[in-house]
Amino acid sequence: MRRALFVALTLLAGSAWSADITVPDYERVELDNGTVLLLSEKHDVPLVGMRAIIRGGSAADPVDRAGLANLLANVIQKGAGERTAAEFAEAAAGVGGAISASSDLEAISVSAEFLSRDVELMIELVADMLMRPTLSKEEFEKERDRSIALIQAAKGSDPSRLMPAYANAFIFGNHAYGNPSGGSEASLAELTHEDIQQYYEDFFGGDRLIVAVVGDFDLEAMKAALTSVFGGWAAAAEKSPVLAPPALIAAPRVLLVDKPGATQTYFWIGNVGVAVDYPRRAELDLANTVFGGRFTSMLMTALRVESGLTYGARSVAERFSETGTVTIRSFTETSTTIEAIDLAINVLDRLHIRGLNNELIASARNYIMGQFPPTLETASSLARMLAFLEQHGQDRSYIDEYGAALAAATPVTISNTIAEAYPTVDDLVFVLIGDAEVLREDVAKYGPVTEISIIAPRFRPQPAE
Amino acid sequence: MSLFSELRRRNVFKVALLYAVASWLLVWLVNHMIDGVGLSAWVGDYALLLIVIGFPVALIFAWVYEITPSGIKKGIDVDQTQSIVYKTGQKLNAAVAVLAVLGVAAVIGEQLLPEFVRPVPVPIEEIRLKPVFDFSAKAEVPREITSFQLPNGLKIIVWPDHDIPNVALYYFVRAGSRNEYPGITGIAHFFEHMMFNGTKSRGQGEFDRTMEAAGGANNARTSNDTTVYMDWFPRSALETVFELEGDRLANLAIDPDVVETERGAVYSERRLRVDNDNDGRLFEQMMATAYVAHPYQSPVIGWPSDIKNWTQQDLEAFYKTYYAPNNITLVFAGDVTPEEIYLLADQYLSPIPRQHPPPEITTVEPEQQGERRFVIETDAQSPLLHVAFHAAATDDPETLQMDLLLAILAEGNSSRLHRALVEEAPVALSVGGMQTDGFDPGLVYFYMTLPPDGDLGDAEARLLLELQRVVENGVSAAELQKARNLRIASFWRGLQTINGKASSLGSFEVFTGDYENLFMIPERLTAIEPGDLQAVAAQVFRTENMTVGTLRPPAEGAAE
Repeated sequence: MRRALFVALTLLAGSAWSADITVPDYERVELDNGTVLLLSEKHDVPLVGMRAIIRGGSAADPVDRAGLANLLANVIQKGAGERTAAEFAEAAAGVGGAISASSDLEAISVSAEFLSRDVELMIELVADMLMRPTLSKEEFEKERDRSIALIQAAKGSDPSRLMPAYANAFIFGNHAYGNPSGGSEASLAELTHEDIQQYYEDFFGGDRLIVAVVGDFDLEAMKAALTSVFGGWAAAAEKSPVLAPPALIAAPRVLLVDKPGATQTYFWIGNVGVAVDYPRRAELDLANTVFGGRFTSMLMTALRVESGLTYGARSVAERFSETGTVTIRSFTETSTTIEAIDLAINVLDRLHIRGLNNELIASARNYIMGQFPPTLETASSLARMLAFLEQHGQDRSYIDEYGAALAAATPVTISNTIAEAYPTVDDLVFVLIGDAEVLREDVAKYGPVTEISIIAPRFRPQPAE
Repeated sequence: MSLFSELRRRNVFKVALLYAVASWLLVWLVNHMIDGVGLSAWVGDYALLLIVIGFPVALIFAWVYEITPSGIKKGIDVDQTQSIVYKTGQKLNAAVAVLAVLGVAAVIGEQLLPEFVRPVPVPIEEIRLKPVFDFSAKAEVPREITSFQLPNGLKIIVWPDHDIPNVALYYFVRAGSRNEYPGITGIAHFFEHMMFNGTKSRGQGEFDRTMEAAGGANNARTSNDTTVYMDWFPRSALETVFELEGDRLANLAIDPDVVETERGAVYSERRLRVDNDNDGRLFEQMMATAYVAHPYQSPVIGWPSDIKNWTQQDLEAFYKTYYAPNNITLVFAGDVTPEEIYLLADQYLSPIPRQHPPPEITTVEPEQQGERRFVIETDAQSPLLHVAFHAAATDDPETLQMDLLLAILAEGNSSRLHRALVEEAPVALSVGGMQTDGFDPGLVYFYMTLPPDGDLGDAEARLLLELQRVVENGVSAAELQKARNLRIASFWRGLQTINGKASSLGSFEVFTGDYENLFMIPERLTAIEPGDLQAVAAQVFRTENMTVGTLRPPAEGAAE
């Protein structure tokens, strides 16, 4: 009884949220050429974080050329402005600064973090990368070959890193969201120097640039500097690619990626989910927290705590602009693969049947609210959030109204969300990396099986990539 | 006389006109100063207010007073036959005329000349984006940090930070694989698991459920030297956390059934991190080979046979000795005050009884007498090369110097090793270097992943050549400055979050004996010279001090 009282009081204490989740003050400026600046001052430490986004990403990779956007992101810092690749790296490292660039499905992003006394250099380097990259043939070939070798290394030592590539390809089929962002061994080998030069001309420009800067600087001075640096950048040659929502592919179905002799099986189970602007995002986050988003989740409790089948099981709702995915992700010893998958499906079924009661809703809400402030604690993380909001056409209300939305969720609205966002147990896509010799017979019960070797140079089973 | 003519006689109209023209000019000037030179806008409003207030005052003044040869006097006091209002009137006319001309000139000039507006933004080189932060200030120990020790020996450090309504708690138990011996290896790490598995009053899983329901999250990690427990929670959960932590530190249940299940989880972790991970596997063998005497030789997760054979007695003894308040340091960073932490600590942690201090580790790894090497042949698409050298302990002064040297050698794309081994000659896919942290002397450790057709012998030779270059020729002042800047940046990054604050403060307290040493880092960095790095390189990078481990697919006759 005392225990129950203690728990109730804890929930109550946690529920007394007077302070809401809010985005710190920031200023948004749209320049004449379409570039959007997002600026916020922060003076607790002498650092400045910058996040620059070029809309497009690997969803804009041409058919057969997966990995192009990501490769371009790697190459833009291998020589830019007046600097060679070595000089560029030296310039950043010399002052203790960090710059990186990569591409995901929908944008190429550049992240930079420098001491505030070197912020002019940071702006210069990022501007050079974006507007004056050298894109030399030599550097392109080195990066391409290195990317291929890194995929091969992952296949050998850490295949779980390749799961997103296999899973997205199998869930979305030939739709752009199925493009492996980093490319595959085959698609990368097809890429030519002309390809990245063309992509750069077609898809880099001020009309699709977002620059978010947060940190130890004076806002007006920073605004003037960025305006002068980026305000004159001409638009890209081609229009931004417009994505159509993906066509539904029949489920259930299974992709078995054969890694002979594997002692572990990695598996993702799920299907298409919802987009960034899904209206019941709060309900989805509450449901997902309880289902597989924290240590005491239903999945962890079943697969780790109660059965010891795995070290980690979670569920992730990944949200893109047109749609997203919802996947259960885990791994287990080869011999317990079927047991673990069956258990995971069982937990999903329970989620659909039972939903969340008020106690679980309160617990999940406390957890989300309690864990949110640290995610915006650094200049870089705030810059990242601001750029994300802008990229998806959202304003600060996306965050500011979140706390209220969490508080407004009920068991009914959550059940509706679960029905909408989570695949049912007979509508699942299974992606496994493991020893096919041991697994192939048993996984057939989950659905029609497509088998490929991990050595195969593509992530999609079909020819076109 | 009519009022009108009297007004005229006393020059009230002329004063009014003069006042109006002068006011116009003043307002024009102020506006241009606001736009052009950045004068604060409130000056304009203030001026306007004064002008408006001043107008009736000026008129009244003009009515009442007149200028006489002997100064300004009240009109009624002036002999009207001596009055010079007429002359004053002429002077006023002249003044109005002058100001009017100025006004006209200003208006015409404004049209003819280029607009006097704020300057157009200039190229980036000419903009000085001064940081608001004062870099010249020494990193001083923040005054708000407080520390105290309970009578049972528990040490607590509190760093208040009210930026977000959250708290980060790190506590360091001085128990690691260093405190183990053959038969009980892996036991310290095992307690990292057991601490979440129930107490005498709480069932398995209740700790996590309670904490997460209150908005908190947690984790733990074990190293060779310490087991660190981390809680991240909103302020509102503070007392809940104290209750939970006090409970598991005093009343952990070591239930035999739970122990068996958890052994399985540890096996699963071993499989994930070591058996199925080529880097993890090679690392475990490297430690076991580089160290022949000191307990750092055994893996933190433990050898499989030891994991299988811990007894109930082993477990209970270990918990009693090591999870004692005299062996633990707590660090709080976040939205708390030292006073409230003290009160809660007194309530929930003071009752935990002190224990005898754990036995000291007296084994000193004897100096390595000759190069050691081994080869693991296994299924591997990418060959791996690890090279390690015996070096200093965390608290030794050479460690910071080696830290800088490692930044020059291995940090980032501009580092010497990356350039030589990845960029200039595609010998490796990636190369890294680090040094192990610890109470006792650790290792400087280089690791490389090669492409599938990579030549391990060549990679090793090139790595050693780069190390030898430092020994012979040292490093340049520019490289040293870069390394300093990288460390300074990392110093500040570590203090960006309450998590980083708790972690950094705690590590320094535990490994150097005083958390204040954290804030000495920037100063110490400035004092290091290129010669220091060359000296430490000569001391450490010797073949007889070296252990080399490679992992590759089995050789099949033809060159692989």
